[in-house]
Amino acid sequence: MSIKQLIFRNLKKNLKNYYLYVFALIFSVALYFAFVTLQFDPALDEAKGSVKGAASMRAASVLLVAIVSIFLLYANNIFIKRRSQEIGLLQLIGMTKNRIFHILSIENFMLYYSSLAIGSFIGFAASKLIMMILFKITKVETIATLNFSTHALIQTLIVFTVIYIFIMLMNFLFIKKQSILSLFNVLSSSQIKINKVSFVQIIIGIVGICLIVSGYFVSTKLFGGDFSTMTELFIAMIYILSSVIIGTYLFYKGSVTFIFNIIRKQKNGYLTVNEVLSLSSLMFRMKSNALLLTIITTVSALAIGLLSLSYIAYYSAEKSAENYVAADFSMTVKEDAELFKQALNSHEIAYSERVIDVIQVEVDVRNLIETKLEEINFDPNVMLLSVISDDAIQNVDLSTEETIFTGYSDILQKFMSFKDSGKIDLKGKEINIPQNYLGLKKDFVISNYFTNGGLPTAIVDDSTFKQLKNDLVTEIQKESSIYIGITVKNEKNLEKANDIYTETSEKLNNVSPHSSRLNISNVQKKNMGMIMFIVGFLGLTFLITSGCILYFKQMDESEEEKSNYTILRKLGFTQGDLLKGIRIKQLFNFGIPLTIGLLHSYFAVQSGWFLFGTEIWTPMILVMVLYTVLYSIFGLLSILYYKRVIRESLY
Amino acid sequence: MTILTGKKIHKIYGNKFNKQEVLKALDINIQKGEFVSIMGPSGSGKTTLLNVLSSIDKVSNGSIQIGDKEITTMKEKQLAEFRKRNLGFIFQEYNLLDTLTVKENILLPLSITKVPKKEANQKFKLLAEELGIYEVKDKYPNQISGGQKQRTSAARAFIHEPSIIFADEPTGALDSKSASDLLMKLSELNQKLKATIIMVTHDMAAASFSNRVIFIKDGGIYSHLNKGEQTRQTFYQDIMKTQGVLGGVHHEH
Repeated sequence: MSIKQLIFRNLKKNLKNYYLYVFALIFSVALYFAFVTLQFDPALDEAKGSVKGAASMRAASVLLVAIVSIFLLYANNIFIKRRSQEIGLLQLIGMTKNRIFHILSIENFMLYYSSLAIGSFIGFAASKLIMMILFKITKVETIATLNFSTHALIQTLIVFTVIYIFIMLMNFLFIKKQSILSLFNVLSSSQIKINKVSFVQIIIGIVGICLIVSGYFVSTKLFGGDFSTMTELFIAMIYILSSVIIGTYLFYKGSVTFIFNIIRKQKNGYLTVNEVLSLSSLMFRMKSNALLLTIITTVSALAIGLLSLSYIAYYSAEKSAENYVAADFSMTVKEDAELFKQALNSHEIAYSERVIDVIQVEVDVRNLIETKLEEINFDPNVMLLSVISDDAIQNVDLSTEETIFTGYSDILQKFMSFKDSGKIDLKGKEINIPQNYLGLKKDFVISNYFTNGGLPTAIVDDSTFKQLKNDLVTEIQKESSIYIGITVKNEKNLEKANDIYTETSEKLNNVSPHSSRLNISNVQKKNMGMIMFIVGFLGLTFLITSGCILYFKQMDESEEEKSNYTILRKLGFTQGDLLKGIRIKQLFNFGIPLTIGLLHSYFAVQSGWFLFGTEIWTPMILVMVLYTVLYSIFGLLSILYYKRVIRESLY
Repeated sequence: MTILTGKKIHKIYGNKFNKQEVLKALDINIQKGEFVSIMGPSGSGKTTLLNVLSSIDKVSNGSIQIGDKEITTMKEKQLAEFRKRNLGFIFQEYNLLDTLTVKENILLPLSITKVPKKEANQKFKLLAEELGIYEVKDKYPNQISGGQKQRTSAARAFIHEPSIIFADEPTGALDSKSASDLLMKLSELNQKLKATIIMVTHDMAAASFSNRVIFIKDGGIYSHLNKGEQTRQTFYQDIMKTQGVLGGVHHEH
């Protein structure tokens, strides 16, 4: 057989075994190419919005390359080890190492560059689709066109050629380092050492679980007011990160073994086939893959967490815009409002208007404050709040001694919470009005121009309001003391009204603040959409590459355990029996890293989600379910591979 | 009483163009409680014979009856069921699961047939003590010696009291002391438990522990030797003679 035939045969054989590798390669190339194409697309300038957008695109593409190259190198490492016997055999029959390297290089070259070509083509075809998705989520209304960018192609080629050179270098070093004998032994030396579960391991196992739980515990307390200085907060965050990551590592290193060992002990040597295939094999294998699993778990937790947070921000863009602007449009100058209303009238858009007088009053809230965050600079004796009359609000009627607060952001709630009731003092220039505080309502009634960064608004009885108005401390008043909220009656007209608003706002007095809820929400959607898109992109790449790595590991494992299946089948277990056990095993193999990753991200999201938005469950669960489904595909594929190995194990 | 009858067993490997007939119309009878050795030069088909008799491999033609059941017509599932109830195996490479302890390995066949735990433990204790491996019951296979591994393998073959135990070169990887220890135990168990043992070996000393030796050559039975009332030593001499006649390369002049 000539060298050419040898290469060709190898290629054919490998394709069958490594279809997933080829798939992952094509996929990463496609993703990268599409991404770079986007970068060079002029139509994207609008979606990028700012320098920040462009920079994050570039940073993302670098990260993408990092993930892909680590994956390819790792996968290659697995494959070259699998072929070590073949390499040893070629050496044994007298081929030089250089010649073998030559063969391997050509083989890899063909596989690699044909995948590169296919990947680029798919990437190019998909770039339009991806761009459409990007435009859709960033609310940019441009038509996505298919632009071929030579620049993008060249960049893709360069990047992947560099990776190819690295792979070849790795193969070269691998072949150089090995002697014929050691090549034959690679597989057996990588086999796991099986020993009894030692005392140290039990300790490691318990410490691992404790570290994770303590990290989770601290994360729930993070913004609960227990850490009152920035330094303390920072230390707490570092603690959470390190305890969870180290805990995860120890968990794989010891806890899995430890827990399974307890279960096993209870069986007193009497294991069913399911337990033989799942428990006993997992016990030892998880340990040897601890580092890999920790990395995969941590990065997937990161990906799920970031994706959830950005989706939360995106999802609650509308809701948080409501907190900023209490109506569809808000104005603070009567003339501006008139101008806008005229414009609305001329377009025959029906609207309702609400005008509220707002004054700024210093309030003594000493008795209400529950937590003290030292770093937030304020004095509870003189908290500056907006005060409005109860006449301005429907369904609220207070007596002269009563005050309620309304509109309070979640973020502030975490740092500084109010008691349910208590005594407060409203301070005018001369007078001091003691009041009974009755509680906090969630609704925002005025725009954020007045709320001093999310502080609540005080509602008092009309007579109290008048008293205060006549005794104002002029230095603390805002330029405007009137809030005009305009709400469009028919929601269908909102977009049109918003266009009118944008038009008129150019004519308006720019000094006086006015805002449109839709605009605020769209700006946030655009910003978060971009981040979400990039994180989603990276997350998907990571998901697929890590799924592939787990799959390859399982491929190796199944081959190593093939002899076990032979024994079990000789003993009289059917293929179905074995497969049942394998299913359980894979449930754990893929399920444990996934569950831990999901748990990590759950606690991460729980501890800080309110900084990003107002809705947590829907976006978070959606992200998690999607991740789980995509991830499970690899588990299913590995079961199919096992099925083949089991079938071939007897005859 | 005959426990295993094989009639006209054919086994052909390869395809239409490249046939290799390993077993040629071989007939075999095994009595209940017998300890039979199968010997023959390499390539004579002894391992293939063991595989087809033990239902691990399928015959190309012919019939095999174990007890009153014809196994050549059984489906994969039935065969698995049959194996787990009626057959026990001991192999040259021990064939222990290295992720299981000695005890777990031995109890494996019982977990399939759902024997109650208490009964399983009693059986285990009895057998493990008999074979001298009770002390290492919580160790893993890579922590015990080759002899102990093979005795573990033997214990696993005996634990569910199968009607026939198949052994493929059980002493192949053992030193002579461990080998004779194991064979003593096997013949003891054969007598005590009335278990039928069919063993493939090329080791004449190993074969001398059995009641009967079947020599096969080129896919057919060449001759039988019965131990009868002889001592092991004289039986060994007999085997050696036959082996000598059988073993040489024939020059057809």
